[in-house]
Amino acid sequence: MPLAIRFALLAAAVLIAALLSLIIGQRSDVGIGNVLQLLFVDDGSLARSAVVDLRLPRTLIAGLIGINLGLAGLALQAVTRNPLASESVLGINQGAALGVALALVFPALMIGNLDTMAIIGAVVAGAVTFGIAAGLGGRLDSMRLILAGVTVGAFSFAFVRFTFTLEDNLSRLVLSWTSADISAARFDQALPLLFWAAGGLTISTFMAHSFNILALGDGASQGLGVDPRRMRFIGAMLAAVLTGASVAAAGPVMFVGLVIPHLCRLWFGSNHRLLVPAVALGGAGLVLFADVVSKLVRFPYETPLGVICALIGAPYFLYATLRARHMA
Amino acid sequence: MSAVVHVPVRPRSTLRGLVLIAALAVLVIAAALWSLSVGAVPIPTQTIVNTLFTLDGEQQTYIIMKSRLPRMVLALLAGAALALSGAIIQAVIRNPLASPNIIGINSGAALFALVLVLVFPDIPQVWMPLAACIGGLTAAAFVMVVAHYRNLSAIHLALIGVAVGFVFEAGVDYLLIVSNDSESSAPMIWLTGSLWGRTWAHVAVSWLPLVALSAVALLLSYRLDLIALGEATATGLGLNVPRQRLLLLLVATLLASVSVAVVGVMGFIGLMAPHIARRLVGGSHRLMLPVAALVGMLLVVLADGIGRAIAPPIEVSAGILAALIGAPFFIYIMLTTTSEQDS
Repeated sequence: MPLAIRFALLAAAVLIAALLSLIIGQRSDVGIGNVLQLLFVDDGSLARSAVVDLRLPRTLIAGLIGINLGLAGLALQAVTRNPLASESVLGINQGAALGVALALVFPALMIGNLDTMAIIGAVVAGAVTFGIAAGLGGRLDSMRLILAGVTVGAFSFAFVRFTFTLEDNLSRLVLSWTSADISAARFDQALPLLFWAAGGLTISTFMAHSFNILALGDGASQGLGVDPRRMRFIGAMLAAVLTGASVAAAGPVMFVGLVIPHLCRLWFGSNHRLLVPAVALGGAGLVLFADVVSKLVRFPYETPLGVICALIGAPYFLYATLRARHMA
Repeated sequence: MSAVVHVPVRPRSTLRGLVLIAALAVLVIAAALWSLSVGAVPIPTQTIVNTLFTLDGEQQTYIIMKSRLPRMVLALLAGAALALSGAIIQAVIRNPLASPNIIGINSGAALFALVLVLVFPDIPQVWMPLAACIGGLTAAAFVMVVAHYRNLSAIHLALIGVAVGFVFEAGVDYLLIVSNDSESSAPMIWLTGSLWGRTWAHVAVSWLPLVALSAVALLLSYRLDLIALGEATATGLGLNVPRQRLLLLLVATLLASVSVAVVGVMGFIGLMAPHIARRLVGGSHRLMLPVAALVGMLLVVLADGIGRAIAPPIEVSAGILAALIGAPFFIYIMLTTTSEQDS
């Protein structure tokens, strides 16, 4: 299949998922026939307000965190050359959640705003994971990297639960927040995400060539003028920032960054110049699809997005660990 | 099976071991008494002793007998069970990173027990441990089958176990959300490994299987020593290694599953207790198993007590505290394991 058609199909899938995410809900007066009209023509009706004020921000957030998490996963897999690496497996997602939880429970600790706190948490967790993996030996052991990340994640999540337990008023929120319930999302959460996603896409596009060279191995890429250590640092920081922004807006959504780069590699090959746009589209598509499922699975009740993503992603992670036989 | 040969640390003298067991027992009793005294209502030790032995003087029967004593008993039972389970699993699959939590048993047990509670809300407590055992066995069977057919490194096996745990946990999260109404907070607290709200009913359904399985585990300790010598040597000494492995893993899985049914997922206890015990008395399982059981009791009782003492009247789940201590411990074990493998 020609490349253009593959991209067109993927983009069409994203659009359809976005439209479905706008259409599905408890109102009977919004349907396939009139959703576009409601979206673009302000007729002052309740249906218009439901679509634009309630559903559109949520759809935007779902699509944007999909882009962010997908790109973060792609960058991590590229710089570690580890097919299992991704923000949730390396504990970065959970570290960002810990940053947000600490800021909510101990306002005195807050540096900047929630976005900053989530990014700080993500960076610290990533640094700890990479530090442990490099460990005593100095080289990046791939299995050890993953197991260290999972443990850092478990620790951060235990800490999140701990802080929420201490604050009685927030403890009721813990379940909805840690499972990334975006049903109450508003525009002011979506706009910063748009900024982060655009930045992430730009930087990833510029880095795509270096990602390709890095895939040849540390020695070869050094010979070709790409410093692997510098690339690892930049890639991990990019992933941490994108993850932090997503977690601050929606809560920790697991496994998107693992699944999407894998699926896109199957369809688009391993050239990162193609993978970056493909992963951005695919990530948006997957999370939008998960959002549609989250509305449908127990209609008319909603199931938080994070739970749906975990149900899709955890079995995939198991499959990937079983397949990962001899990793670089 | 894993490539890491689990070298038993030099066995130390039996006398030293017995003294150590006695000392640990005293520590466990002291910790248990302390855990009876802390909480939303602090109770002085004198009052506790008066109540327990129905002496004259001030008593606090209601809180102690109805609330704190049953959970203390459960903490002791679960701590010993998890520690024994972890010690057996580490010895049988010769993987210092293994523990009931790491190979997915705890999450599997939690998922099946939760399904039972949600599908049949009125079912008697007795069925809970049974459902948990089925879940634990499912998870353990999966990991064991994978380990049997493929030559995996210790770390890769642990990773697959973690992934199996993730799958079950995703199911648990989904069920918790689906049942998101008034009763959802109870399983939520239970699943994070809390002894909150545990009553004599929970003790009644779990003490017999836990005590019986622990006894079996202690009786089988010499077989663990034989297995530690390596498959060929153990077979040469007359042991049917595959069958014994299966039997030991069955006991270990049931121990962990029953404890999950009553106290929820208490991660890392099954990992830490055997490692601490090995440091104290060496690798001979005849001594190591009872010491591990005592260490496990001590850890869970302390975690429960500290959880109540941090910020009364709020309770921090013992499982959360166990994870906060256990995760760094796991990383330490992982770092030392890999460097052994490299050399």
